[in-house]
Amino acid sequence: MIQPQTHLNVADNSGARKLMCIRILGASNRRYAYIGDIVVAVIKQAVPNTNLERSEVIRAVIVRTCKQLKRSNGIIIQYDDNAAVVIDQEGNPKGTRIFCAIARELRQLNFTKIVSLAPEVL
Amino acid sequence: MWGFLRTRTCLRYSESLLLHQPWKKNVAFSSFAAVDGRKDLLDLPEIEKVLTEIKADDVKVIPVPKHCDWADFMVLATGRSTWHVKNIAQALIYKAKQKQKGAERMMLPSVQGQAGGKWIVIDSGKVIIHALDEKARAYYNLEGLWTPGTIQHEPDGDIQKALVKVRRKNNSKKPAQKNA
Repeated sequence: MIQPQTHLNVADNSGARKLMCIRILGASNRRYAYIGDIVVAVIKQAVPNTNLERSEVIRAVIVRTCKQLKRSNGIIIQYDDNAAVVIDQEGNPKGTRIFCAIARELRQLNFTKIVSLAPEVL
Repeated sequence: MWGFLRTRTCLRYSESLLLHQPWKKNVAFSSFAAVDGRKDLLDLPEIEKVLTEIKADDVKVIPVPKHCDWADFMVLATGRSTWHVKNIAQALIYKAKQKQKGAERMMLPSVQGQAGGKWIVIDSGKVIIHALDEKARAYYNLEGLWTPGTIQHEPDGDIQKALVKVRRKNNSKKPAQKNA
Protein backbone atom coordinates (compact mmCIF):
# COMPACT_ATOMS: atom_id res chain seq x y z
CA MET A 1 0.00 0.00 0.00
CA ILE A 2 2.04 2.88 -1.33
CA GLN A 3 0.58 6.34 -0.88
CA PRO A 4 2.01 9.82 -1.31
CA GLN A 5 4.87 10.49 1.15
CA THR A 6 5.81 6.79 1.27
CA HIS A 7 9.56 6.24 1.04
CA LEU A 8 10.64 3.51 -1.38
CA ASN A 9 13.88 1.68 -1.97
CA VAL A 10 15.18 1.38 -5.51
CA ALA A 11 15.54 -2.12 -6.91
CA ASP A 12 17.73 -1.31 -9.93
CA ASN A 13 21.10 0.19 -10.80
CA SER A 14 19.72 3.46 -12.17
CA GLY A 15 21.58 5.53 -9.57
CA ALA A 16 18.71 6.51 -7.30
CA ARG A 17 18.69 5.02 -3.82
CA LYS A 18 15.58 6.33 -2.10
CA LEU A 19 12.37 7.60 -3.61
CA MET A 20 9.37 9.28 -2.13
CA CYS A 21 6.02 8.68 -3.77
CA ILE A 22 4.22 11.92 -4.56
CA ARG A 23 1.37 10.76 -6.80
CA ILE A 24 -0.25 7.51 -7.90
CA LEU A 25 -1.22 7.37 -11.55
CA GLY A 26 -4.50 5.88 -12.63
CA ALA A 27 -7.79 7.16 -11.30
CA SER A 28 -8.28 10.72 -10.10
CA ASN A 29 -8.38 10.08 -6.38
CA ARG A 30 -6.53 6.85 -6.04
CA ARG A 31 -5.41 6.04 -2.50
CA TYR A 32 -2.90 3.23 -2.69
CA ALA A 33 -0.52 1.67 -5.19
CA TYR A 34 0.34 -2.01 -5.19
CA ILE A 35 2.77 -4.17 -7.14
CA GLY A 36 2.73 -3.22 -10.80
CA ASP A 37 1.34 0.29 -10.39
CA ILE A 38 3.09 3.38 -11.71
CA VAL A 39 3.76 6.21 -9.29
CA VAL A 40 5.33 9.62 -9.67
CA ALA A 41 8.18 9.90 -7.21
CA VAL A 42 10.91 12.28 -6.19
CA ILE A 43 14.47 11.11 -5.63
CA LYS A 44 15.45 11.63 -2.02
CA GLN A 45 18.89 10.09 -2.19
CA ALA A 46 21.07 9.23 -5.17
CA VAL A 47 24.42 7.60 -5.85
CA PRO A 48 26.99 10.31 -6.63
CA ASN A 49 28.19 10.78 -10.23
CA THR A 50 25.16 9.19 -11.90
CA ASN A 51 22.56 10.48 -14.30
CA LEU A 52 19.86 10.83 -11.69
CA GLU A 53 20.09 13.49 -9.05
CA ARG A 54 18.46 14.29 -5.76
CA SER A 55 15.10 16.08 -5.94
CA GLU A 56 14.47 14.97 -9.52
CA VAL A 57 10.91 13.92 -10.32
CA ILE A 58 10.63 10.54 -12.06
CA ARG A 59 8.20 7.73 -12.69
CA ALA A 60 8.59 4.37 -11.04
CA VAL A 61 6.92 0.97 -11.02
CA ILE A 62 6.30 -0.70 -7.67
CA VAL A 63 7.97 -4.13 -7.57
CA ARG A 64 7.97 -5.07 -3.89
CA THR A 65 5.49 -4.21 -1.18
CA CYS A 66 5.17 -5.03 2.50
CA LYS A 67 1.48 -5.49 1.84
CA GLN A 68 0.74 -9.07 0.87
CA LEU A 69 0.05 -9.95 -2.74
CA LYS A 70 -2.55 -12.68 -2.93
CA ARG A 71 -2.97 -15.02 -5.84
CA SER A 72 -6.07 -16.90 -6.76
CA ASN A 73 -4.47 -20.25 -5.90
CA GLY A 74 -3.75 -19.23 -2.32
CA ILE A 75 -0.13 -18.18 -2.60
CA ILE A 76 0.72 -15.04 -0.67
CA ILE A 77 3.84 -13.03 -1.49
CA GLN A 78 5.09 -10.50 1.00
CA TYR A 79 8.38 -8.64 1.02
CA ASP A 80 10.24 -6.91 3.81
CA ASP A 81 10.34 -3.50 2.19
CA ASN A 82 8.72 -1.33 -0.42
CA ALA A 83 10.73 -0.94 -3.60
CA ALA A 84 10.33 0.47 -7.08
CA VAL A 85 12.10 0.50 -10.44
CA VAL A 86 12.73 3.82 -12.17
CA ILE A 87 11.23 4.07 -15.66
CA ASP A 88 10.95 6.82 -18.24
CA GLN A 89 7.83 8.11 -19.98
CA GLU A 90 7.90 5.33 -22.57
CA GLY A 91 8.14 2.60 -19.94
CA ASN A 92 11.78 1.70 -20.52
CA PRO A 93 13.69 1.08 -17.29
CA LYS A 94 16.44 3.64 -16.56
CA GLY A 95 18.72 1.04 -15.02
CA THR A 96 20.09 -1.98 -16.82
CA ARG A 97 19.81 -4.59 -14.07
CA ILE A 98 17.25 -5.31 -11.40
CA PHE A 99 18.19 -6.84 -8.07
CA CYS A 100 15.40 -8.80 -6.58
CA ALA A 101 12.96 -11.57 -7.15
CA ILE A 102 10.00 -10.13 -9.00
CA ALA A 103 6.39 -11.25 -9.01
CA ARG A 104 5.15 -12.60 -12.30
CA GLU A 105 2.09 -10.38 -12.12
CA LEU A 106 4.30 -7.68 -13.63
CA ARG A 107 4.30 -9.59 -16.89
CA GLN A 108 0.53 -9.51 -17.09
CA LEU A 109 0.61 -5.80 -16.35
CA ASN A 110 2.81 -5.21 -19.42
CA PHE A 111 6.15 -4.77 -17.71
CA THR A 112 7.88 -7.61 -19.57
CA LYS A 113 10.96 -5.41 -19.92
CA ILE A 114 11.39 -5.27 -16.17
CA VAL A 115 10.69 -9.00 -15.84
CA SER A 116 13.28 -9.83 -18.49
CA LEU A 117 15.96 -7.84 -16.61
CA ALA A 118 15.21 -9.47 -13.27
CA PRO A 119 17.35 -12.31 -11.91
CA GLU A 120 14.42 -14.34 -10.66
CA VAL A 121 10.69 -14.43 -11.19
CA LEU A 122 8.42 -15.63 -8.43
CA MET B 1 19.71 1.33 2.54
CA TRP B 2 20.35 -1.78 0.45
CA GLY B 3 17.10 -3.47 1.07
CA PHE B 4 17.59 -6.05 -1.63
CA LEU B 5 20.50 -7.56 0.23
CA ARG B 6 18.40 -8.53 3.15
CA THR B 7 15.13 -9.00 1.35
CA ARG B 8 13.38 -12.06 2.48
CA THR B 9 10.53 -13.24 0.39
CA CYS B 10 7.81 -15.04 2.19
CA LEU B 11 5.91 -17.55 0.18
CA ARG B 12 3.19 -19.02 2.27
CA TYR B 13 1.43 -21.98 0.89
CA SER B 14 -2.03 -22.37 2.20
CA GLU B 15 -2.54 -25.69 0.50
CA SER B 16 -0.06 -28.38 1.39
CA LEU B 17 -0.64 -29.96 -1.99
CA LEU B 18 1.04 -27.04 -3.65
CA LEU B 19 4.28 -27.78 -1.83
CA HIS B 20 4.69 -30.98 -3.75
CA GLN B 21 3.59 -29.58 -7.06
CA PRO B 22 6.08 -27.45 -8.85
CA TRP B 23 3.73 -24.57 -9.39
CA LYS B 24 5.42 -23.46 -12.56
CA LYS B 25 2.90 -25.60 -14.34
CA ASN B 26 0.23 -23.10 -13.29
CA VAL B 27 -2.47 -25.70 -13.24
CA ALA B 28 -4.66 -23.86 -10.83
CA PHE B 29 -3.91 -20.39 -12.13
CA SER B 30 -6.85 -18.84 -13.84
CA SER B 31 -5.16 -15.51 -14.46
CA PHE B 32 -2.01 -17.08 -15.86
CA ALA B 33 -3.88 -19.39 -18.17
CA ALA B 34 -4.11 -16.45 -20.53
CA VAL B 35 -0.34 -16.31 -20.77
CA ASP B 36 0.03 -20.02 -21.22
CA GLY B 37 -2.65 -20.03 -23.87
CA ARG B 38 -0.49 -17.75 -25.93
CA LYS B 39 2.18 -20.36 -26.28
CA ASP B 40 1.61 -21.32 -29.87
CA LEU B 41 1.12 -17.85 -31.28
CA LEU B 42 4.49 -17.81 -32.98
CA ASP B 43 7.05 -20.58 -33.36
CA LEU B 44 10.79 -20.11 -33.37
CA PRO B 45 11.31 -20.99 -37.07
CA GLU B 46 8.51 -18.61 -38.05
CA ILE B 47 10.01 -15.81 -36.00
CA GLU B 48 13.42 -16.38 -37.51
CA LYS B 49 11.95 -16.38 -41.01
CA VAL B 50 10.11 -13.11 -40.41
CA LEU B 51 13.20 -11.52 -38.91
CA THR B 52 15.38 -12.51 -41.88
CA GLU B 53 12.71 -11.28 -44.30
CA ILE B 54 12.61 -7.86 -42.67
CA LYS B 55 16.42 -7.77 -42.49
CA ALA B 56 16.83 -7.49 -38.76
CA ASP B 57 20.49 -7.42 -37.81
CA ASP B 58 22.26 -9.71 -35.40
CA VAL B 59 19.42 -12.07 -34.53
CA LYS B 60 20.21 -14.17 -31.49
CA VAL B 61 18.13 -16.94 -29.97
CA ILE B 62 18.93 -17.55 -26.32
CA PRO B 63 17.43 -20.48 -24.42
CA VAL B 64 16.40 -19.17 -21.02
CA PRO B 65 18.09 -20.93 -18.06
CA LYS B 66 16.08 -23.57 -16.33
CA HIS B 67 15.49 -21.77 -13.06
CA CYS B 68 13.57 -19.07 -14.89
CA ASP B 69 10.37 -20.81 -15.82
CA TRP B 70 8.47 -17.88 -17.24
CA ALA B 71 9.74 -18.29 -20.81
CA ASP B 72 11.63 -20.79 -22.93
CA PHE B 73 13.41 -18.65 -25.49
CA MET B 74 14.49 -15.06 -25.84
CA VAL B 75 15.02 -13.74 -29.35
CA LEU B 76 17.09 -10.58 -29.71
CA ALA B 77 17.06 -8.55 -32.90
CA THR B 78 18.58 -5.19 -33.76
CA GLY B 79 16.90 -2.61 -35.95
CA ARG B 80 18.79 0.12 -37.76
CA SER B 81 16.42 2.91 -36.80
CA THR B 82 13.31 3.44 -34.70
CA TRP B 83 11.20 2.90 -37.84
CA HIS B 84 12.95 -0.34 -38.53
CA VAL B 85 12.42 -1.53 -34.95
CA LYS B 86 8.73 -0.64 -35.21
CA ASN B 87 8.50 -2.48 -38.54
CA ILE B 88 10.01 -5.60 -36.99
CA ALA B 89 7.25 -5.56 -34.37
CA GLN B 90 4.58 -4.90 -37.00
CA ALA B 91 5.80 -7.77 -39.15
CA LEU B 92 5.63 -10.19 -36.24
CA ILE B 93 2.12 -9.09 -35.31
CA TYR B 94 1.08 -9.43 -38.94
CA LYS B 95 2.49 -12.94 -39.00
CA ALA B 96 0.53 -13.86 -35.88
CA LYS B 97 -2.63 -12.49 -37.48
CA GLN B 98 -2.02 -14.35 -40.74
CA LYS B 99 -1.48 -17.57 -38.84
CA GLN B 100 -4.85 -17.34 -37.13
CA LYS B 101 -6.81 -16.27 -40.18
CA GLY B 102 -10.36 -17.56 -40.06
CA ALA B 103 -10.28 -18.30 -36.36
CA GLU B 104 -13.23 -17.07 -34.34
CA ARG B 105 -11.12 -15.46 -31.67
CA MET B 106 -7.80 -14.01 -32.59
CA MET B 107 -5.09 -14.07 -29.94
CA LEU B 108 -2.48 -11.41 -30.42
CA PRO B 109 0.87 -11.24 -28.64
CA SER B 110 1.22 -8.40 -26.18
CA VAL B 111 3.49 -5.64 -27.45
CA GLN B 112 5.22 -3.11 -25.23
CA GLY B 113 7.14 0.02 -26.08
CA GLN B 114 5.72 0.52 -29.54
CA ALA B 115 5.41 4.27 -29.13
CA GLY B 116 9.11 4.78 -28.46
CA GLY B 117 10.67 2.39 -30.93
CA LYS B 118 13.88 1.98 -28.94
CA TRP B 119 13.04 -1.31 -27.28
CA ILE B 120 9.93 -3.24 -28.29
CA VAL B 121 9.06 -6.48 -26.52
CA ILE B 122 6.69 -8.94 -28.18
CA ASP B 123 5.51 -11.42 -25.60
CA SER B 124 4.09 -14.44 -27.39
CA GLY B 125 3.93 -16.76 -24.42
CA LYS B 126 6.93 -19.03 -24.26
CA VAL B 127 9.00 -17.08 -26.79
CA ILE B 128 9.83 -13.47 -26.06
CA ILE B 129 11.13 -11.28 -28.84
CA HIS B 130 13.15 -8.16 -28.08
CA ALA B 131 13.58 -5.71 -30.92
CA LEU B 132 16.08 -3.03 -29.97
CA ASP B 133 17.98 -0.28 -31.69
CA GLU B 134 21.77 -0.46 -31.51
CA LYS B 135 22.21 1.95 -28.62
CA ALA B 136 19.59 0.24 -26.48
CA ARG B 137 21.08 -3.15 -27.21
CA ALA B 138 24.51 -2.05 -26.08
CA TYR B 139 23.05 -0.27 -23.04
CA TYR B 140 20.91 -3.08 -21.67
CA ASN B 141 23.29 -5.90 -22.71
CA LEU B 142 20.60 -8.55 -22.59
CA GLU B 143 22.92 -11.22 -24.02
CA GLY B 144 25.24 -10.78 -21.05
CA LEU B 145 22.35 -11.19 -18.68
CA TRP B 146 20.83 -14.25 -20.28
CA THR B 147 23.86 -16.19 -21.48
CA PRO B 148 24.36 -19.04 -19.01
CA GLY B 149 27.13 -18.61 -16.49
CA THR B 150 27.06 -14.85 -16.28
CA ILE B 151 23.80 -14.52 -14.42
CA GLN B 152 25.20 -14.92 -10.93
CA HIS B 153 28.18 -12.67 -11.48
CA GLU B 154 26.55 -9.65 -13.04
CA PRO B 155 24.47 -8.45 -10.08
CA ASP B 156 27.42 -9.02 -7.71
CA GLY B 157 29.58 -6.67 -9.72
CA ASP B 158 26.89 -4.04 -9.70
CA ILE B 159 26.43 -4.29 -5.96
CA GLN B 160 30.13 -4.02 -5.29
CA LYS B 161 30.42 -1.06 -7.59
CA ALA B 162 27.52 0.62 -5.86
CA LEU B 163 28.90 0.03 -2.40
CA VAL B 164 32.16 1.86 -3.08
CA LYS B 165 32.09 4.97 -0.99
CA VAL B 166 32.85 8.18 -2.81
CA ARG B 167 34.04 10.95 -0.56
CA ARG B 168 32.61 14.33 -1.28
CA LYS B 169 34.96 16.99 -2.47
CA ASN B 170 35.48 19.74 -0.01
CA ASN B 171 35.50 22.81 -2.18
CA SER B 172 35.39 25.29 0.65
CA LYS B 173 39.15 25.44 1.22
CA LYS B 174 40.34 25.54 -2.38
CA PRO B 175 40.05 29.27 -3.10
CA ALA B 176 41.80 30.12 0.15
CA GLN B 177 44.80 27.95 -0.80
CA LYS B 178 44.96 29.56 -4.22
CA ASN B 179 45.05 32.99 -2.70
CA ALA B 180 47.76 32.04 -0.29
